[in-house]
Amino acid sequence: MSTNNFEDVEDRDGIRLSWNAWPSSRIEATRTVVPISALYTPLKEREDLPPVLYEPVTCKASCKAILNPFCQIDVRGKLWICPFCLQRNPFPPHYKDITTTNLPAELLPKYTTIEYTLSRPAQIPPIFLYVVDTCVDEDELKALRETLVVSLSLLPPTALVGLITFGTMTMVHELAYSDCPKSYVFRGSKEYQPKQIADMLGLNPSNRMQAVRPGQPMPAPAASRFLMPAQACEFQLTSILEGLQRDPWPVEQDKRPLRCTGVAMGVAVSLLETTFPNTGARIMLFSGGPPTDGPGLVVGPELREPIRSHHDIDRDSVKHFKRATKYFEGLSKRASANGHAIDIYAGCLDQVGLLEMKSLTNATNGSMVISDSFMTAIFKQTFLRSLGKDDDGHLKMGFNGTFEVLTTKELKISGVIGHVISANKKTPSVGETEIGIGQTSAWKVCSLTPKSSLATYFEVVTPAGQPLQPNQTGLIQFVTHYQHSSGQFRLRVTTIARTFHEGGHPAIAASFDQEAAAVLMARIAVFKAEIDDSPDVLRWLDRMLIRLCQKFAEYRKEDPTSFQLSPNFSIYPQFMFHLRRSQFLQVFNNSPDETAFYRHVLNDADVNNSLIMIQPTLMSYTFDVEPHPVLLDSVSIRPDVILLLDTFFHILIFHGETIAQWRKANYQDQEGYENFKELLESPITDAQDLLEDRSPIPRYVVCDQGGSQARFLLSKLNPSTTHMSGGYGGGGNGGQAIFTDDVSLQVFMEHLKRLAVGASTS
Amino acid sequence: FFTPGMADVQQAQIPQGQFQQPAYGQQPAYPQEKGVDQMTNQFQNMQMGYRAGATYGDQKQLHSIQTVNLIGMQPDVRGLDSPPPAALLAPNAAVTQSPHIQPDPSYQRCTLAAMPTTQSLLNKSKLPLALVLAPYRSVREVDDDMPVPVVEDSVIARCRRCRAYINPFVTFIEGGNRWKCCMCGLSNEVPQLFDWDQRENKPADRWGRKELNHAVVEYIAPTEYMVRPPQPPVYAFVIDVSQSAVQSGMVATAARTILENLDNLPNADKRTKIAIIAVSTSLHFMSLPPGSTEASMLVVSDLTDVFLPKPVDLLVNLTESRPAIETLLGRLSDMFQEPQVGNALGSALQAAHQLIGKIGGKIIALTSCLPSLGEGALKARDDPKLLGTSKESSLLNAASSWYKTFAIECSKQQVAVDMFLFSASYTDVATLSCLPRYTAGQTYLYPGFNASRSEDAIKFATEFGRVLSMPIGLEAVIRVRATRGIRLAAFHGNFFIRSTDLLALPVVPMDQNYVIELQLEDDVKATTVVIQTAVLHTTCFGERRIRVITQAMPTTDSIAEMYGSADQIAIASYLVSKSVEKSMTSSLDDARNLIINKLSDMLTVFKNQVTSSAGASAQLAVPDNLKLLPLLMCGLVKHVGLREGVSIPPDLRSYAQALLTTLPCQSLIPYIHPIFYSLHNMSPDAGTVGPDGHMVLPPALNLTSERLERHGLFFIEDGQNMFLWVGHEAVPRLIQDVFDLPSYAELTGGKYTLPVLDNPFNQRVNNIVAKTRELRRGVYRQHLYVVKSDAEPALRSWALSCLIEDRMDKMGSYAQFLTQVKNKVSRV
Ligand SMILES: [Zn+2]
Ligand SMILES: [Zn+2]
Repeated sequence: MSTNNFEDVEDRDGIRLSWNAWPSSRIEATRTVVPISALYTPLKEREDLPPVLYEPVTCKASCKAILNPFCQIDVRGKLWICPFCLQRNPFPPHYKDITTTNLPAELLPKYTTIEYTLSRPAQIPPIFLYVVDTCVDEDELKALRETLVVSLSLLPPTALVGLITFGTMTMVHELAYSDCPKSYVFRGSKEYQPKQIADMLGLNPSNRMQAVRPGQPMPAPAASRFLMPAQACEFQLTSILEGLQRDPWPVEQDKRPLRCTGVAMGVAVSLLETTFPNTGARIMLFSGGPPTDGPGLVVGPELREPIRSHHDIDRDSVKHFKRATKYFEGLSKRASANGHAIDIYAGCLDQVGLLEMKSLTNATNGSMVISDSFMTAIFKQTFLRSLGKDDDGHLKMGFNGTFEVLTTKELKISGVIGHVISANKKTPSVGETEIGIGQTSAWKVCSLTPKSSLATYFEVVTPAGQPLQPNQTGLIQFVTHYQHSSGQFRLRVTTIARTFHEGGHPAIAASFDQEAAAVLMARIAVFKAEIDDSPDVLRWLDRMLIRLCQKFAEYRKEDPTSFQLSPNFSIYPQFMFHLRRSQFLQVFNNSPDETAFYRHVLNDADVNNSLIMIQPTLMSYTFDVEPHPVLLDSVSIRPDVILLLDTFFHILIFHGETIAQWRKANYQDQEGYENFKELLESPITDAQDLLEDRSPIPRYVVCDQGGSQARFLLSKLNPSTTHMSGGYGGGGNGGQAIFTDDVSLQVFMEHLKRLAVGASTS
Repeated sequence: FFTPGMADVQQAQIPQGQFQQPAYGQQPAYPQEKGVDQMTNQFQNMQMGYRAGATYGDQKQLHSIQTVNLIGMQPDVRGLDSPPPAALLAPNAAVTQSPHIQPDPSYQRCTLAAMPTTQSLLNKSKLPLALVLAPYRSVREVDDDMPVPVVEDSVIARCRRCRAYINPFVTFIEGGNRWKCCMCGLSNEVPQLFDWDQRENKPADRWGRKELNHAVVEYIAPTEYMVRPPQPPVYAFVIDVSQSAVQSGMVATAARTILENLDNLPNADKRTKIAIIAVSTSLHFMSLPPGSTEASMLVVSDLTDVFLPKPVDLLVNLTESRPAIETLLGRLSDMFQEPQVGNALGSALQAAHQLIGKIGGKIIALTSCLPSLGEGALKARDDPKLLGTSKESSLLNAASSWYKTFAIECSKQQVAVDMFLFSASYTDVATLSCLPRYTAGQTYLYPGFNASRSEDAIKFATEFGRVLSMPIGLEAVIRVRATRGIRLAAFHGNFFIRSTDLLALPVVPMDQNYVIELQLEDDVKATTVVIQTAVLHTTCFGERRIRVITQAMPTTDSIAEMYGSADQIAIASYLVSKSVEKSMTSSLDDARNLIINKLSDMLTVFKNQVTSSAGASAQLAVPDNLKLLPLLMCGLVKHVGLREGVSIPPDLRSYAQALLTTLPCQSLIPYIHPIFYSLHNMSPDAGTVGPDGHMVLPPALNLTSERLERHGLFFIEDGQNMFLWVGHEAVPRLIQDVFDLPSYAELTGGKYTLPVLDNPFNQRVNNIVAKTRELRRGVYRQHLYVVKSDAEPALRSWALSCLIEDRMDKMGSYAQFLTQVKNKVSRV
C-alpha cells in the first residue's frame, strides 16, 4: 500500500493503521516491534456519508457485532453470518426484500463506515455548565464576560445551560428565579461531599419539600432551577454574566486571591451527577489562575510560595501536588462515569494547575486550552470555534459516547490511548497484553469532536498448533455510540478487514504506515512518560527504533555504511528523533501545565496534526523561488529567506537577517519593492490558512533573526550546526549555530545505524 | 335613644328590668378620697408625693404607721396608683433645694425608703431589700415626663476611689474646692471647669449645675469613655421564610412594616446599617449594593459551618442602599413561594452575628416555627403529661445550652437579639427567649399569627414598628454603686452579668425593667445612703452618654420604720422576679409557696414586731402602705406565668414569665392585677376629655365577677390583652350602639376591631380603649377580644381568669388566699 492508499482509507474510514497487513502469529507480531494499532477518528466528517435513518442489524446478544460489508449473506435464506462469532442471524422482517442487487447500505463495500440514526431520541438536550473564575482583573473579566455572552448565542436553543462562578466562594446561579439574581453559595475552603452538595442545592427529594397541595402548580424539577434551556434563560443568563463582578473578597498585597476551583468543580460535577446522570453534558471551566484554597489547592495563597515546577515534582518536594491530583482524579472519575465532559480554558500568564486538573479533561475528552489571557484571540476563537456548527446547524460535537471494538478471534485488544475511560466490558476480544487503557473492549468517551482520534492497540493471538491460513483476513469493527447535538443518538460503525501473512512476508513490511506508526508509538511513549521517568521512556523508544531497523532495514552485519531503509520506513527514525526532542518527552523547558496541555492535545489529534506536533513543518520563502518546504534544520536559516514554522501550537514567521533589516527600513512600502512586499505577505497569507481550522488556535509569532522570539524556531531545529560543531552540514555557506548540547539528527542516525547493524559503538 | 351612664335621665325611657343602675360610689369598701382623674395622670404629682410626709426640722422624720386589717375588707384597687412612701431625708441631706433630687419611681425605686443599718436587722424584718429600676425609661409627652437633663460640657466629676458621679448628696468642703463623696467619704478635687460656662465663656453658678439638682441626668461622655468611636445603629433582620411563615402572612407583614418604618429607624446621622437574612431550610443572604435598585440573593445551605457568602453589600448603609432595600422588601414575601418546611434559625442567627459582630447592634429574628435544622435545632418537647407535675419547670428552662452560649457570644460582641415568635404550634419560647434574656433583648409572641385577620396584622405591625422606631442605646453597661456597706447580691432581668456587678446590655431597649437585690455586708454608718445607677451607652445618634440616676434614703434601725417605708409595688416587682426564678430552678409549686411564705413572713414580723399583737388573731394586719401587696401576690399566684393547672401551654407560660421579668412597674402591675371597668353604666364624662385635658376613665372595679351583670358591658385589660365582656342580656340598643349589630345573637366573640360609629357611647368606648392603649409604656398593643358571657367557654374563662379575687379552678379566691396567709401568720 502506498502512502496515498493510507490517506484514502483515512478519508473513507477515519482510520490509519501502523500495519495494513498482519503477521499471522504472536511471535512474528512481536518481532515487527510496532504493534498492530489503529488511530481512529470516529466522528470524522464525511460529506458523502449522511447518516442512515434506521437501526443497525446486530448479531446475537452474546456478540452484538453489527451487520457490515464483510458479512456473508444468504439472500434466499434471509440469513447473514457474523464474521466475528460465526453465528447465523436471520435478517429482521423488514429486510425481507433483500436481494444481491438490492442491498442495504451497510452491506455495500463502500460503506465500511456507516452512521445510524437511532430511533430512540435523547430525552435531554445537551447540557452546558459554565464554571467561571471571578478572581481575575477587571479587563480580563470583561473580556471573558463578552465571550461567554457571545457563546450563549451559539448554543442550540434547547440546550440546557447553567452557570457557576467562583472565587473565594463558589456560587451556583439559579436561572429560573425571576425576583432577583439568586445564587447558592459554597464555602471555598471546604470539601463538600456529593450528597451534601445535592442537599444544599435542594436537588435531593427529601422531606424538606412538602407535598404539593392540590391547586398549586407542580413545582418544576429542582434541576431546572440551575439548568434551563438556552432560549428560555438567555436573557437572565446574559444579565447575570453582564453583571458579573470580580470576586469581592479583599486580597492582601503579599497574597494570591483565594480561588476555590476545586470546590467549584466539585459542585459542578455533583450538580450534573445528581440531575442528569449518564447524559451528554459538558462542564466548561474558565480559570484565571491556580486553585489556592480548599480541596484541589495547587499553590498556597502566599505569594512567596512559588507554584511547582517540573524540578520540584521531580524532587518530590511539592506540598499539594499529590493531594490536588487525587482530588481532581476523584471528580474526573465521577464526571466521566456519567458521560460528562469537562473543558478547561486557562486564561493566565502563569500556570493554573492543569497538571493537577488534567484528569478532568483527559478522562472526559474535554478541551484543554492555554492562553495568556481571556482577552487573547487564542482563547476567544478557540472557545467559540468549539461551538462551531455543521451545515445543518448542529454543533460539531458528540456527547456521552461509548467506543467499542470487536475483533475476529485471532486478534485481541490491548487497549486504547486517548481521552477515554474504561467501560469495563470484558468480551472475547480483550487481550492479555495491556497498552494504554486495557482489559476492556469498550470505553466511555464523554465528548467527541470530528477530530478526536483514539489509538487502539492489538495483539495477534494464534492458538498453539493452529497456524492461520495464508491470506486469511482479520476484521476489526469500531462501534461508536453517542448523543448527537441534534438530540438523536447515533451509532457510527467502521469495519475493516486486513490480511494475515506469515512471518517475513514482504507484504507486511510494505504495509507499514510510518506516519501512523510514529504517532501511535508517540502515544505509547507519552502514556509511559505520564507514569515513568522520561529517561526510561527515551531508552524504550530508542530500543524500539533499533529493533525495528534491525528487523526491516537492509544492511550487512556490523557495517553501518550498508544500512538502508525502504522508503516507507525511511523517515520513521527522523520522527523518532524529533519525538525524543519534543516537548512531549522533554519537559524541563516547559512548565508542568504546558506539558499537560501539549500531551493532552497530542492524545486527541489525528495522524497529520500529530506529525506536525512531533516534527514541525518549515516553509521557506525567498525571491524568485516558489515557497517550498525545507529541512527542519538550522541550515535552513538564511539571511535572505523568510521561514514559516508550524509546530501546531505555534505558527512562527521568521525573517532572515537581511529581510529583517529591509523590513525595518520599510522597503516594502516603497515603490519598486513590490516583490519584497509580496514576499513579506506570502507567509502571512499561508499562516492564515493554517489558522483557519485549527484548534486550539496556535500562538502566532512574528520574529526576526537574532530576536528573542526566535528561540521558538531554534528550539525546534535540528542542531546540525551548533556552537560545538562549527560548520558541520552546511559548510560555511549558511545556517545558524544553535546553542545546544543536543545531538543532531545526523549524529543520531549514525548511532542508530551502528546499533542496528550490531557494530560496536566506538 | 340609649346613652349608658345617662341612666338617671334616661331611665324612664328604658323598659324596666333591662338596666339596673349600680351604686358604685356608695359602696363602703371604696374610700373615695382620691379623684378619678388622678388615675390618668398617675405619676404626675410624684415629687409632691415624696415630699408629702417630710417636714423640715432637726428631728428625724419617721413614717406614721397605719395598720390595716385585710380580713373581710374589699381592697381598694385604686390605691395601686399611689406613690410609694417617701424617703424622709434630713433637711440638709442635699446640697441644693431642687425638687428633683429624688428620681421618679418609674426610673428607680427601692423596696424600702429607709435603709436598715445592718444585715441582721434586714434579716429580722423579713422585708426584701431590692432595687427596681428601668433606667432607660421612655420619655413621653402623654405622661408629662420631664426630658432627662443633659450635662453637655463634658465636665464629669467622679470620686477617685469609688467612681461615683457627683450628685446632690455630696458635700463641698475646703471652701468648695473639694467635694466629699457621699458613698465612700473620699475627698475629691472639684474639676477645674466645674464652675465655668464653656459656652458663654464666663463663670457659672455651681448650684445651677444639673447634676447637683437632678436625680436623673445624662452626661455626654468624653473619649475616655469610649473603647472605640460611637458605632452606628445596626439592625440585622433574620426572617423566617418557611412555608408557615409565608402562608401566615408574617413575612409580608414584617416586610411591609420594615418598609414603612425605614424612615423611623434611628438614623439621624445617616450611619444606620441594616442586613436582611431570610431563613428556611437554607440561609438567604440579601446583597443590597449601594445605589442599586436591585437586591440579589445568596443562598447558603451549609448550616453547620455558617459563613458569609460575601464581604460587602450584606450589611449596608440604610440611606445608601435604600433603593435596593425597598425593592427587596416590596417583594420579599413573593420571593419564597416554594414550600420549604423547616427552619435553620440558629444557623441564621450565627450568620447575622458574623455579619454585625464587628460593629454590634441588634438582631431582630422573626420566626414562625420551631428551629428544626442546623445549629441550635430543637425538638417539640411539650409533652402534655408533664404539665401540672414537678417536671413542668423543665419546660420553662432552655432545652439546649446552645442558645445561652450563643447569647453570651453575642453579648461579648455588643449584639442584642429580639425574638418575634409566630408559631401556631409549640415553638419553645423557653429556649428561644434565652437569646433576648442574656443580650438585653425582648421576646414577642404572636401565637397562631394570621395576617389575614386584620387584628393580628395590626398588632404585630404596630409593635414591630415601635421596636424599629425605638431610640435605643448601644454598647451599654449598667453599674450600680451604693454607700459603703451596701452590696449588690443578685440581678434579675435581661442582660449578661459581665463581672460581679457590671451588667452588659449590647442594646438597651426602652422601658425594660431590672431588679437588683441588695445586701448589707457591713453595718451602714451613714445617716443617708445613696444608690446610684449609671448607664453608659452610645445613643443611636452617635454620642457616648452616661445616664446617672441617684437615689438617697435615710438609714434606720427600726423595723417599724422599715415597714412604714416599704414600697408595695417594688416588693411585688421583686417577688415577681424571685418567684419566676424559683419556678425555673425548682418548681412552680415552690414558686407559689415562695410568694405565700415571703408574704406571711413579712406579715408575721409586722404583727409581732410592729403591732406587738402576738398570738392567733382573726385579723390580718398590714401597714397601710402594704395593704395591696397581698392582692398583687394573689394575682401573681394566679397569673398564667405561675398558675397551678394542667392546661397552660408551656409557650404561653414562658412568654408570660419573660414579660413578668421585664415589664416596668407601670405595666407589670396591671399585668398581674388587670383593670376592670363597667362601661354600660359609666358616668357621662367617662370616655370624654375632662376639664384638665385628660381623658376621664371609669373607676376601676375590684377584680371579681360579682361586678358582672347579665345586661352589662365590661372592660378588662392587663396591658397585653383587652376584653369587652358582653352580658347575654345586653339590650339590642347597646349592641347596636357599640358593635353596629342588631342584637347580642349576631355578635361573635373573639379578636375584634371595634367599629367607630356615629353615636356618643360608641365613641366613648372607643376612647377608653384608645386611652388604655396609650396609657401603657412600651411597645405592646393589646388585642381586643369581645367575650360573650354565654358563649366560647375558652375565651370566657380566659377573661374570667383576670378576675383574680374570684375562685378559679383549684385556686382559691382572694379571701381564701388571705386566710391561707393569715393561718401561716397565726401559726408563729
Ligand atoms: Zn456475531
Ligand atoms: Zn467615693
